[in-house]
Amino acid sequence: MRRRLLPGWAGLVLLFVFAAALSLALGPGGLAGTNSSAVMNLRLLRLALGIVAGGVLAVVGASLQGLLQNPLADPFTLGVASGAALGASLTVVLGRVSGAFAPVGGFAGALVTMLLVYALARVRGRVTVTALVLVGVIMSFLFSSLVMLVMILGRRTLGEAVYMMMGHLGTVFTGTTAWLFGAAALLAVIGCGWLFSLSRSLDIMSSGEEAAETLGVDTQRVTRTVFVLSSALVGMTVSFTGAISFIGLVVPHLVRMLFGPAHRRVIPGSFLAGAGILLLSDVLARNIVPGGLPLSIVTALVGVPFFIYLLRSRL
Amino acid sequence: MNERDKGMAIELSSLSFGYGERLLFEGFNLDVAAGEFLGVIGPNGAGKSTLLKLMAGLLKPGQGSVRIHERELRTIGRTELARTVGVVLQENPFAFDYTVADVVMMGRNPYLGRFARPGRQDRQIAASALEFVDALFLSDERINAISAGERQRVVLARALAQEPKILLLDEATSHLDIAHQQMIARILVELNRQGRTIVLLSHDLNLAALYCSRILLLDKGRAAACDVPERVVTAELIRSVYGLEPIVTRHPETGRPQVMLPVATGSRG
Repeated sequence: MRRRLLPGWAGLVLLFVFAAALSLALGPGGLAGTNSSAVMNLRLLRLALGIVAGGVLAVVGASLQGLLQNPLADPFTLGVASGAALGASLTVVLGRVSGAFAPVGGFAGALVTMLLVYALARVRGRVTVTALVLVGVIMSFLFSSLVMLVMILGRRTLGEAVYMMMGHLGTVFTGTTAWLFGAAALLAVIGCGWLFSLSRSLDIMSSGEEAAETLGVDTQRVTRTVFVLSSALVGMTVSFTGAISFIGLVVPHLVRMLFGPAHRRVIPGSFLAGAGILLLSDVLARNIVPGGLPLSIVTALVGVPFFIYLLRSRL
Repeated sequence: MNERDKGMAIELSSLSFGYGERLLFEGFNLDVAAGEFLGVIGPNGAGKSTLLKLMAGLLKPGQGSVRIHERELRTIGRTELARTVGVVLQENPFAFDYTVADVVMMGRNPYLGRFARPGRQDRQIAASALEFVDALFLSDERINAISAGERQRVVLARALAQEPKILLLDEATSHLDIAHQQMIARILVELNRQGRTIVLLSHDLNLAALYCSRILLLDKGRAAACDVPERVVTAELIRSVYGLEPIVTRHPETGRPQVMLPVATGSRG
């Protein structure tokens, strides 16, 4: 049993290491830059940001898919990432504060969006797969537009707005925000571990809420915990990177193909694979076009066909 | 052995419950003795599934009380309840394709701490539950790849892995072929003989009449009858509740009542 899973884990670790090495080697300044310690510091921060963002988005996607029994759920398709982006933008623009409060705004935006989307998609006590995603995508559209509005009214550059809406790892760290990011990274690891600790409950809930109740699972508590943790994790991440699409959708499915659906494997597997795939996407986004592209352009090119495939195989 | 000596497994007293404005149950009473095999029959919408969910703690009664083994249901923690009452629901969709072994192991959840992994004993209990329903050979199959009859047995095995004293089953034999129906019936009879209290909801009057020690005939939230099969599965009661003329005969082996329907004629022309 265990032995069968070993090649899968080895593959994920290899992917992760390869992506991390590539990300370090091909950072700004090209291969030559690897000799300068200042450049390497920048690249290490970018690497750490990529690992946290990719890991968090994939783990949250896996947890939400399990909780909502919905293969199409992820922070982006549910509008939560855009809600977080709006929250973070509002904090920065309206508050006239340093970036320090952006993660809090991101969390608030994510949580409000999560609850809003869930409430709107609930018709006569039932949340269907399609209703949830439809409402999520519409909200995502709305919040992206509002991010743009907030940025323009706040006299920010269009570039900043685009990066907030479509994601990037080029965050410029000052002393304060670097510390802030360190704290956020630590919280992210704790949050992912917390979600991991709900693995068995998530497994059981995938056979329906009522059945799970009869098996001793407190479904309301699990639902609340996953919603709040997911919002906190996505909110924090998005406030640093902007909204990155489809990592949370695609990665858990790939990991399930490797390991089957048990969350105790899907959640840690998704963290590794999410980090690896996001780093690879970032390498592509930085090097296809001079000056770089927003990350969601790359992730959407892979994610959208995958989404359509899932939608069609499900309906 | 006199069943009354072992006390009550489930007691519903002056229970009221409704969806929205409409009260489905009003001042409803029912006692299920420990070790009893109770059948619950009745037309669609009579309240069978609602009754089961009230017994399982999935629905909270508006008024009145539910007692399990002589304790108020709402004072029993969910883990303890899951160790006492096993439930097989009518629909068992699985959003993800777990293996049969994984599904049955979910039944051990009420015995496992948050971070604990199933141990040797849990695996043994899960395996013997699967064996009990003749499905051990399915262990490595995917739950969404097996037949309806097999899935029903696996879900029953998951409930057995909870080691419950009380089993509640909602339409455990619907959409199963006769061989599988017979197999489930055999399993339930055996479980009941081992001392488990069983409440079986069914549209199959003949199955209920053959195996249950007592039958509750529900009609729009009230008990039209609750007695031994001979006094419940009668032409008069079935006519008054279902509104059709049945032919009631006796099973040649046990003498229990069995129902046949008259030929439906196309009288509408």
